[in-house]
Amino acid sequence: MSLPSHEHVVEVKDLTRRFGDFTAVDRVSFHVEHGEIFGYLGANGAGKSTTIRMLCGLLAPTEGDAVVAGARISRRPEKVKRNIGYMSQKFSLYPELRVRDNLEFFGGAYGLWGRELDMRIDEVLGLVDLRGHEGDRTQELPGGIRQRVALASAILHRPGIVFLDEPTAGVDPVARRRFWSLIRALASSGTTIFVTTHYMDEAEYCGRVGLMVAGRLPALDTPDGLKATFAPGRLWMIRGSGLAGTDAVARLRALPGCLDVQTQGAGLRLRVAMDSPVDEAAIAAALPGPVEVEDTVASLEDVFLAVVDADAQKAGTARAFDGGAA
Amino acid sequence: MSEVHTPGGAPAAGPPAGHPAGHPAGHPARSRSDRTRRFFIRVGALAAKEALHIRRDPRTLYLGLILPLVMLLLFGFGISFEIDHIPLAVSDQDHTPESRALVDDFVAANEFELVGNVPDADAATEVLAAGRSSAVLTIPQGYAESLSRGETATVGLLLDAVDVSSTQQSLARADVMAQVATGRVAAASGLMPAGGANLPLSARTWTRFNPAGRSSLYLVPGVTAYVLALVAVLLTSLAVAREWERGSMEQLFATPVGRLEIVIGKLLPYLGMGAVQVLLVLTAGAWVFGLPFRGSLPVLALASVLFMLGMLGQGLLISVITRNQMVATQASMLSAMLPSMLLSGFMFPIQNMPLPLRVFSHIVPARYYIAVLRGVLLRGNGVSELWPELLPLALFAGLMIAVSTARFQRKLA
Repeated sequence: MSLPSHEHVVEVKDLTRRFGDFTAVDRVSFHVEHGEIFGYLGANGAGKSTTIRMLCGLLAPTEGDAVVAGARISRRPEKVKRNIGYMSQKFSLYPELRVRDNLEFFGGAYGLWGRELDMRIDEVLGLVDLRGHEGDRTQELPGGIRQRVALASAILHRPGIVFLDEPTAGVDPVARRRFWSLIRALASSGTTIFVTTHYMDEAEYCGRVGLMVAGRLPALDTPDGLKATFAPGRLWMIRGSGLAGTDAVARLRALPGCLDVQTQGAGLRLRVAMDSPVDEAAIAAALPGPVEVEDTVASLEDVFLAVVDADAQKAGTARAFDGGAA
Repeated sequence: MSEVHTPGGAPAAGPPAGHPAGHPAGHPARSRSDRTRRFFIRVGALAAKEALHIRRDPRTLYLGLILPLVMLLLFGFGISFEIDHIPLAVSDQDHTPESRALVDDFVAANEFELVGNVPDADAATEVLAAGRSSAVLTIPQGYAESLSRGETATVGLLLDAVDVSSTQQSLARADVMAQVATGRVAAASGLMPAGGANLPLSARTWTRFNPAGRSSLYLVPGVTAYVLALVAVLLTSLAVAREWERGSMEQLFATPVGRLEIVIGKLLPYLGMGAVQVLLVLTAGAWVFGLPFRGSLPVLALASVLFMLGMLGQGLLISVITRNQMVATQASMLSAMLPSMLLSGFMFPIQNMPLPLRVFSHIVPARYYIAVLRGVLLRGNGVSELWPELLPLALFAGLMIAVSTARFQRKLA
């Protein structure tokens, strides 16, 4: 490791995992700071889960290495496991057991026992605001509550860092918001959070966000930093019948200083350089029919699309180059 | 992790190989007693969780506790190799005290049951063909007279030979009856002393350990082994395959729980359940069928534990390989149920099998366990007679647990 690992909870260097010919994670390097909410954003199949599984000591890296919570994943995965909490995407709890049975089991799996275990169960249930649900059969709980129980079971042993793999997949928006307020509370009490998601709005809650595309990590920064880097300039949302023509996108792209045009719902998002002379009137004039032009700010979705586009272009040129060489 | 990672894959970025692994002094070595304590806490947590699963699952309870009793009663009562109450029709054309004495001899031992009288040979054939009786005894007129004159008297026994075992038993019984009658007649006429050597050659046989030849005593040990094999393999393979299917195995692997701990924690509750099964079946066997217990209890307990460990290990191996409840069920049925029933000596004697099956039966653990059960229960054997059975059981158990634990580890990364 080039940096002393005690400064960072997670220190990843050239982490690579191949499955046969397929490279799921390709030379990824980053670090996670103490007490940070670190978001890992990417489409399904981009390599988020593979990364998280390697960092949790569940999967050996093909190349590269990482230090997680003070231990190398390649050499001492068992030590890594003692020091982290993990909430997997596919499974969180045993459905036929009661909430308390589940917590007792996972507490025991982390070596907690007796009075200490009882105390911790009470504490974590208080933390996720589920006291009184101890006797509930887990399979009868709604998804949002079940996720909170799963989070409770992942922090029983007071891990310094918790890995959450798509913790809010399939949970309703209200429960998602609630879950995120728990995550923020946990982080403010000093627990580092490493969370993967494909919800852009959730990524806004993160201190820093890594964007994973096709096994690589082309972007990593704070949400604002990402927006400034990958979606700079001014943004407008354009709606209306004036967009009906098939050449609306081409007309907008022809505007001076235009950086990007993306479809969103029935409308278009236009991004122009800061120094571009384009304004609302210019946009309306560029389009054949009446349109509504609204000032807006960049979102992580803009960043994501820009990064994916840039990546596709790069891949495209790489392919073209390969083709030329062949 | 099975993969050996070579650090320093990217030399340009400053190889981490120069760095000592992890933290040289950051964490003091965890004490041995602390590790042991945590080992037991983790195994205990796993076993307690598994016990809860068993308690919450009616299917498991049924398979574990009701099925063994059902099987025991089914095999003890329903399937019997002894044949008695063979329906017998009599055509007594002699009507003498001697002829009636012969009929009484036939039905005295419950092997034959008198279902009616028929007048003549034609009627005899009819009742046989109609299935109303399986045997017809014909005593011709002049039977008593021939006997009194010291001549050979002939009686006829007409048999329905469709059921081979009934026929053989009837034939054997007829021979015995002939001897008994001959002796009685000889004694009465003063030709030979009563109970003496009335025949030139007589073989005396003693049947020991199961003198009444009751097949329930022969079958109950087999039922015990069969039920244990089936339940142990099936339940463990299902329990572990379920965790793979649901993905909870991954969650387990993310905790510090080790492979061996998972294996032990998973097997312990089922071992306990198996112990209850053995007690249940043997107690019921003693109570319902008068199964004796003549030999060494420690040997029986040891053999039971070894046999169960082997079967549980086999179930574990199946689930580690298949990772799928459906396939695991079928594999359990094929690999545990059929050999334990057919190739273990449970129902069919091994020495009568064709050579390939006889050789194959040596890798069927139920074979050794049944031998131990029969030895301990019926013959009163101890470790000096049974160690050749205990050894293969121990070998099989060790092998299964070792292989399944190893496979567990390999499947991880």
